[in-house]
Amino acid sequence: MEVAVQGTCSPKEAGLGLGAGPPPLEEEEQHSEGLVELHASFQELFTFFCTNTTMHGAIRLVCSRRNRLKTTCWVLLFLGALGTLYWQFGVLFQQYWRYPVIMTMALRSQPRRSPSVTLCDMNPQRPAPVHHHLQALDEFAQENIRSLYTASVSVSQGVAAPSCLPGLEPGVPVDRRIRLLRLSHLGAPNRVGFRLCNSTGGDCFYRASASGWTAAREWYRLHYLSVLAQLPPTQQDPQNSRFIVSCHYDGQDCQAGPFQVSHHPIYGTCYTFSGILSTQQPPAVAHGLSLVLRTEQQKHLPLLATKAGAKVTVHQQDHSPFLEHHGFSVRPGTETSISIREDEVHRLGSPYGSCTQGGQDVDMPLLYNASYTMQACLVSCFQQLMVNRCSCGYYFYPLPAGAEYCSYSQHQGWDHCFFHLYRTPETHHHCAQHCPRPCRESIYKLSAAGTSRWPSSKSSNWIQAVLGEQHPSQDPKPRIGLAKVNIIYQELNYRIVDETPVYTIPQLLSAMGNLWGLWFGSSVLSVVELLELLLDAMALGLLLGCRRLHQLQDPSQGQPQGWPNHVRGVPASTLTILPGLRWPLQTPDNPT
Amino acid sequence: MAPGQKIKAKIKKNLPVRGPQAPTIKELMRWYCLNTNTHGCRRIVVSRGRLRRLLWILFTLTAVCLIFWQCALLVFSFYTVSVSIKVHFQKLDFPAVTICNINPYKYSAVRHLLAELEEDTRQTLKNLYGFSEMTPRRRREAESWGLAQEGRHPRFLNTIPLLLLETGEPGQAREFLTGRKRKVSGKVIHKAADVVQVHDSRKVVGFQLCSNDTSDCVLYNFSSGINAIQEWYKLHYMNIMAQVPQEKKINMSYSAEELLVTCSFDGMSCDARNFTLFHHPMYGNCYTFNSRQNETVSTSMGGSEYGLQVILNINEEEYNPFLVSSTGAKVIVHRQDEYPFIEDVGTEIETAMATSIGMHLTESFKLSEPYSQCTEDGSDVPVENIYKTAYSLQICLHSCFQMKMVEKCGCAQYSQPLPDKASYCNYQQHPNWMYCYYQLHQAFIREELGCQSVCQEACSFKEWALTTSLAQWPSAVSEDWLLSVLAWDQGQPMRKKLNKTDLAKLLIYYKDLNQKSIVESPANSIEMLLSNFGGQLGLWMSCSVVCIIEIIEVFFIDCFSIIARRRWQRAREWWARRTLPAPEATPRAGGQDNPTLDVDDDLPTFTSALRLPPALGAQVPGTPPPKYNTLHLDRSFSAQLKDTQLPPTEV
Repeated sequence: MEVAVQGTCSPKEAGLGLGAGPPPLEEEEQHSEGLVELHASFQELFTFFCTNTTMHGAIRLVCSRRNRLKTTCWVLLFLGALGTLYWQFGVLFQQYWRYPVIMTMALRSQPRRSPSVTLCDMNPQRPAPVHHHLQALDEFAQENIRSLYTASVSVSQGVAAPSCLPGLEPGVPVDRRIRLLRLSHLGAPNRVGFRLCNSTGGDCFYRASASGWTAAREWYRLHYLSVLAQLPPTQQDPQNSRFIVSCHYDGQDCQAGPFQVSHHPIYGTCYTFSGILSTQQPPAVAHGLSLVLRTEQQKHLPLLATKAGAKVTVHQQDHSPFLEHHGFSVRPGTETSISIREDEVHRLGSPYGSCTQGGQDVDMPLLYNASYTMQACLVSCFQQLMVNRCSCGYYFYPLPAGAEYCSYSQHQGWDHCFFHLYRTPETHHHCAQHCPRPCRESIYKLSAAGTSRWPSSKSSNWIQAVLGEQHPSQDPKPRIGLAKVNIIYQELNYRIVDETPVYTIPQLLSAMGNLWGLWFGSSVLSVVELLELLLDAMALGLLLGCRRLHQLQDPSQGQPQGWPNHVRGVPASTLTILPGLRWPLQTPDNPT
Repeated sequence: MAPGQKIKAKIKKNLPVRGPQAPTIKELMRWYCLNTNTHGCRRIVVSRGRLRRLLWILFTLTAVCLIFWQCALLVFSFYTVSVSIKVHFQKLDFPAVTICNINPYKYSAVRHLLAELEEDTRQTLKNLYGFSEMTPRRRREAESWGLAQEGRHPRFLNTIPLLLLETGEPGQAREFLTGRKRKVSGKVIHKAADVVQVHDSRKVVGFQLCSNDTSDCVLYNFSSGINAIQEWYKLHYMNIMAQVPQEKKINMSYSAEELLVTCSFDGMSCDARNFTLFHHPMYGNCYTFNSRQNETVSTSMGGSEYGLQVILNINEEEYNPFLVSSTGAKVIVHRQDEYPFIEDVGTEIETAMATSIGMHLTESFKLSEPYSQCTEDGSDVPVENIYKTAYSLQICLHSCFQMKMVEKCGCAQYSQPLPDKASYCNYQQHPNWMYCYYQLHQAFIREELGCQSVCQEACSFKEWALTTSLAQWPSAVSEDWLLSVLAWDQGQPMRKKLNKTDLAKLLIYYKDLNQKSIVESPANSIEMLLSNFGGQLGLWMSCSVVCIIEIIEVFFIDCFSIIARRRWQRAREWWARRTLPAPEATPRAGGQDNPTLDVDDDLPTFTSALRLPPALGAQVPGTPPPKYNTLHLDRSFSAQLKDTQLPPTEV
């Protein structure tokens, strides 16, 4: 089967099986085909290619060989078309590699996971273990405010008058060096603020604000957090659930339903209801969650809790609530209807954009014991930075393993470090880079669907009586201390915002095919033809070069005339082939 | 010869129908590959070397497979939509605005109907919570009522008794009217009471609903007495009101003049005549502004100055203390042909407040089948629209539930419109409708009624996004003169001043005259799909529709005719052998010079193509090229079928 190669230049090439030389004439008559047959010369190869290729324009190159001008024209046209094609390909791929997306929006009404509702009573507690520290803090605050507004303000809001000023104690987490000051030298006459320095007392700056109230609040909050950091980590005492008076959902009672209780240093005790809001019913107040809340203002921390009412937020079931970001305030003495509108966002991941599926691929360890949200990641990132730079954690956020909360007693100048970190844009930039958005998220938009006075003057008597019976401690002003909240779905359907790629692979290929067809009339198979031609030409060149070398080295062995004869003979064969090939192209003459 | 036959003969002569000229399928394939425009095929034939040929076959087949795969992907992604959001700036039609007082009927007007119920409720409150606080005037009133009803048996408490349940012993319930312990059977619809220990000392109030034979009972209990009493009251209230005719109910409710103190629209004054009455079962008389479709008003300017501004008289004195516990009004913005679902999506307005509602209009248009499942006008949804208004998903769900209610319980639920040939439920005629209703409602929530699957959303809808803001109104300095002027407007004597907490100011306006339209349009058109097909065919094989036709011609028609011809020949041979036991051998003629082979009248076909590489043998004309000795042309032509025969030349 393998055609014996005449004058093989090296055994290696024969072993390749590729070096099957031009078949000798006597073997051609046997009609036995080699595995791979090579053409005898370049001319034959090119003629074969030009006559048999399917690439447009190639035929023309061969046909017009006699006319130089024509050939040149055709070569130019061929190259021009080739150039345009590749330019267009370049443009197409440039567009594709930018990975553009289009947003599509759809309205669906399928049932889906119901969200959780978190309510906070806005009454931060005075934890018993640090009670004496808070007492000291309150006295210190009173002293500060008195020194600032000499006689105009009385700050005895439930705080006992200072009996004596205790000196600087090392264990007390109140840094007496940080005081409220009137900063008249900063330009504005009424600016109030406080001075923050690092642990060694250098690099000081002022936190100033135009209103004494803002400054005092911020100042108090710093000290308050510092005091709270003294608390042991498991300080969760069971809260007396007087906050939620009644809970009614879809004609049924949900009071005894499981809700989780947590404590927030600013928003007080928070209650999370999971999975009771149905997403399958037509929106109606009767089908929503209806709560009666006791929003009485307790005088635990007068400088911190300046608002009365409740905070409501709606979030996905496995997400941790961020009241400081999505809270909705409820006024006491009213019935507030809050309507929820859900938007579901789907994002395309790499390479179209950056998003994470479930957060496993994010290198930021999440401090919350909940599923990934961008907010949780940002907070975790900030806390991590805080622990790295200031060697203590901010009290608002959970602690990473092995760290402790910032307190003046142990971390001098943590406030300076915190504000420094907080104010530098690099911190937030760094965190934003490390926290991609989730690929799938539900956004709940809360809007007030109206308020009405509750209870009405006609019904307030019996409602008070009913509640008074349930809670033996009588409220002096129950009308202000109560609020009713209805949480309903605004619409049955929800909006899905989807990202879809502009160019999908089939569309890209189609566009490529269109261009190819337009300029070149060729296909992928034509390219394979070209590749074959290249391989053939290389193999042939190698073979012929070898032979020539062999011949030159040992001119006595082979007959010098034999090769030219043979090479001459091959074009003759191609010439005889060619008419046969062209035959079908000729117009046949009709015998009739 | 008839002209028809003549034409037929001429056609036969000039357009002869001939079968494939290739004798075998192999030759046909070879001919096809040499002559087709589809890339790859020619290479299979002309390539030299078996490996090369095999590779080309593989390449071609791969290209074919890729074409099919990619085209399938294109077809599957055909029904996608793209959404465009347009913002128009134009003169906008003002929507219909329906305003209701939260309290349905003037309590003084309905009190004679509800006196017994009130008495029972007060007694309940007294027994349960020790509440008996009444103003002296009221007490007198109540006493007079009480005297009139002396010795009467508490009817409502007997029908459905309110029970005081002691948690810890759920089987035991105390009926607080009689104080006797009562064994409670049936399932308790109550989340497990032992989950939260906080409420362990709490007593639970509830009521029991039983079916006719009282064997199957459901106990509804509430941890909060407010809800229990309100639910219980509402049940009986609906029973009573279901028996009152509509005209009487309209008279008992507020008139437009009573509700609307002042009104102005677009800077122009308006009055009660601009409002149409709409009676709602749970909210009484509601008034719709701009409800007539043919005389729509429109605003030429955005902003709070050019909207609807009304002052409402809520009249808190006439409130029903047990039915409604909040004070205010409800407002809903809707399309003119739409039913106002006031109880579901209304916006509440507070008294002694000015409520500003800014609107922003969004229109949505969806594509119906096959892009999504939505209905244009609801005519293809198999649920009767009992509201007699434009279709919406909510209307469909409510209608579906009401129809099921009529079907299962024999009467209609009070808070929804009445279907044909049905009546509202009441205890006199339908003693256990409550039980039936609660069961049905539970089934509805669990989607057992099939309403959710039957009802489809509407394809196009308008939506007004509302932004509510509040301000204290009237201000302390303007309160005095404002209230007396308004009282004078109301036609009340000057000495009877209106109360600040009876009034509410409402302002509804377009925030701007931008209208947002969300329009879905098909992302792919047929032309796009064909263009993409063309791209795929061109990319992989440089193929076209003509190529496909060619393939169909060669691979299906010609192949089958060749096979059929071969069969026919065999049959004829077999028959000839049977009739002529010794058939004479056909003379074996050589390929190209076969006299029977009439090459010349063929178009350049396989025969001419087969002359291909005569190669060296060309020096000996007349000798058949040995490569093509498989051609038994004589065979095929000697046994030519009639359909492949040339018509006899008439020359």
